[in-house]
Amino acid sequence: MTTVTEYAKWEELTEGAEHELTVGPITRTDLVRYAGASGDFNPNHHDEIYAIRAGFDKPFAHGMLQGGYLARLLSEWLGPDSFKNLKIRFSAQAWPGDMVICKARVVRQYEEAGERLVEIEASAANQRGDVLIKATATAAPRT
Amino acid sequence: MPLDKSVLERTFPEFEFRVERGKIKEYALALGLTDPVHTNLEAARAAGFDDLLAPPTFVRQFWHENPENDPMPHLGYDPKRRLHGEQEFEYHKPLVAGMNLKGRNAIVSTREKEGRRGGMMTFVVIETKFVDEAGELVQVARRTLIETAAPPKEA
Repeated sequence: MTTVTEYAKWEELTEGAEHELTVGPITRTDLVRYAGASGDFNPNHHDEIYAIRAGFDKPFAHGMLQGGYLARLLSEWLGPDSFKNLKIRFSAQAWPGDMVICKARVVRQYEEAGERLVEIEASAANQRGDVLIKATATAAPRT
Repeated sequence: MPLDKSVLERTFPEFEFRVERGKIKEYALALGLTDPVHTNLEAARAAGFDDLLAPPTFVRQFWHENPENDPMPHLGYDPKRRLHGEQEFEYHKPLVAGMNLKGRNAIVSTREKEGRRGGMMTFVVIETKFVDEAGELVQVARRTLIETAAPPKEA
């Protein structure tokens, strides 16, 4: 059986439209799984002793894990092939046990060269409200 | 350690890889993506793709496929002070399983900045361009790597 993802309609994607996704609490297994999937085996993300010697309290999430969660929010909202660009700025680490609360908002809806586009501002924060990452994107919504 | 400036003169060879279905599924599952265009061939084709569609940050895994292809290990950065500051993607064509991609890394900019607590911070931007078999641009990834002035505990 094939399921179909419902993306937001153009009419809904007016300025100020918002979408959210909460992931977590993230586990060390999530970190290891992302390391394998992404090929990023920086020991700070799985090796306790290495991370402590590097000055951290314990292993922490790859920035691109949180970045991937934020991209997932946008992809499942606007369409998986809707992106024109995506720019992520990393601010703080996410630690095992943290929630990753992703929020996105349309800041501009416009047409250019016959193409319907939206500009998005997005961020991910933990359960204490600390910003982990900020992102901007331009997308041509699929529906 | 200051940036090893000799790396700026170097060029890095093109590398080739095939985008595999299993790797796309693995990446989608690691991020909890529920859209079946990444995991179910029928759904991907129904949505108009030739094969499983790669998630938006998928090319991440090919930056450092081989240290010979990637400037990052040659920057002279102290791994304890290395941070991934920013990441940018540009999308030109859908990336689907079965495509044979060619990638090439290049350092596109560097700058130094006084840290808030003294010492120099170094910023390097590495761009990776991915093209398909026809030589058409598929995606561009740009990562900003920072070497901080001091390790996290001493900061």
